[in-house]
Amino acid sequence: MTEPDLPIHDDDLHAYVDNQIDADRREAVERHLAVHPDSARMVAAYQAQRDTLRATFAARSAEPLPPELNLTRIVATRLRSRRTPWRIAAGIVLALGAGGGAGWLLHGRPFEGRSAQAMAALQQQAFATYTVYAADRLHPVEVSAAQETHLRQWLSRRLERQVVPPDLSAFGYRLIGGRLLATERGGAAALFMYDDAKGDRLSLLLRPMAAGLLAGRTDIGGAAMNGCAWIDKGMGYAVVAPVPDAELDRIAAQVGTTFAVPD
Amino acid sequence: MAGTLEQMEASIPALRRYASTLLRDRQEIDDLVHDCLLRALDQMHTRREDADMRAWLFAIMHNLFVSRLRRKKVRGLAIPIEEVGDSALGVRATQEDHVQARDVMLILGGLPEEQRSVLLLVTVEDLTYAQVAQVLGIPIGTVMSRLSRARERLREMMGDHPRSAGRSAK
Repeated sequence: MTEPDLPIHDDDLHAYVDNQIDADRREAVERHLAVHPDSARMVAAYQAQRDTLRATFAARSAEPLPPELNLTRIVATRLRSRRTPWRIAAGIVLALGAGGGAGWLLHGRPFEGRSAQAMAALQQQAFATYTVYAADRLHPVEVSAAQETHLRQWLSRRLERQVVPPDLSAFGYRLIGGRLLATERGGAAALFMYDDAKGDRLSLLLRPMAAGLLAGRTDIGGAAMNGCAWIDKGMGYAVVAPVPDAELDRIAAQVGTTFAVPD
Repeated sequence: MAGTLEQMEASIPALRRYASTLLRDRQEIDDLVHDCLLRALDQMHTRREDADMRAWLFAIMHNLFVSRLRRKKVRGLAIPIEEVGDSALGVRATQEDHVQARDVMLILGGLPEEQRSVLLLVTVEDLTYAQVAQVLGIPIGTVMSRLSRARERLREMMGDHPRSAGRSAK
């Protein structure tokens, strides 16, 4: 330090050039530069480098993207891949954001407008709730299957329609219980949770939808975790479980049957 | 969480810029960007929501690049000195901003990769020193010393005369 009154270090000069300096320090650097032509020259050279580099790269980044860097395509490919583990698929689905890219999720079945948005919201909630609650060993549900009558009555009252946990024992799944969920629009939805002898969990999301919305079944996920969702008669359904396609098909059919013929 | 993929999409040009400072071959550049996007999607579920998207993506790309270099699957931007020639090393522009884009890339190629990365992330991508430290997995003091060396080296190559300008402001 040859100037105790102005303890300016090289790092300060870089921070000055890069605008990563606070106002007080900036003034100190400027006072320093005013009386140190060598430092001033150095800073001027660095600033010129900065301008040159930025101009050079600005021109390069104006080039159009090649098709293989189309993110929509990359996402669609990844979600369709059988080898994509469910946690990864769920992470991608959640990242899509409500309404942001509904069409990305749908397997070859381009729903338009509100139905597509509703389907995206349904799938996102299905994966989010599975991710959070199925992973919770202690409290996957609010009301256990031991109080099934209370569970039915409570959820039916809150969803304002008959809500019954389907019997999935034919597939080895036993009801653990259920919980009430909030949708991002402030509506009520219901989640039933099941598990099998290995402890693998299956979730069924029931989410009331505006009348008139209709969307056929869509699939998502890979081999380790599978899910499907559909909208029928003002209700959205989503099943998520670590089962193969064929099994998921049968479970979804069973769920559909349960609600087609209410108690 | 809405908009995560939109942010990612908006970062692709920056990823290509950064990749183009690491690699020479256009196809290898886009392959690296593609693999970075794929890896990012696969790590989406582990990403902190408040993490800066570009810094996060740069870190993924840097790691991919380092592991590729190790496996010698790619050729870095570094250019053998005999290929550079007078046009780049002997730039005698009176003003730095007269240096052509092609020359800039050649000059950058003359810097060690570790210095080039720091320089580009700071000056072109506007990352903070702390973010650069995170992206490259190095201490912030190392960021500063690499930045300093890169700038001095560039100054020499661009025809300025650092020796007559004095070493430091201490």
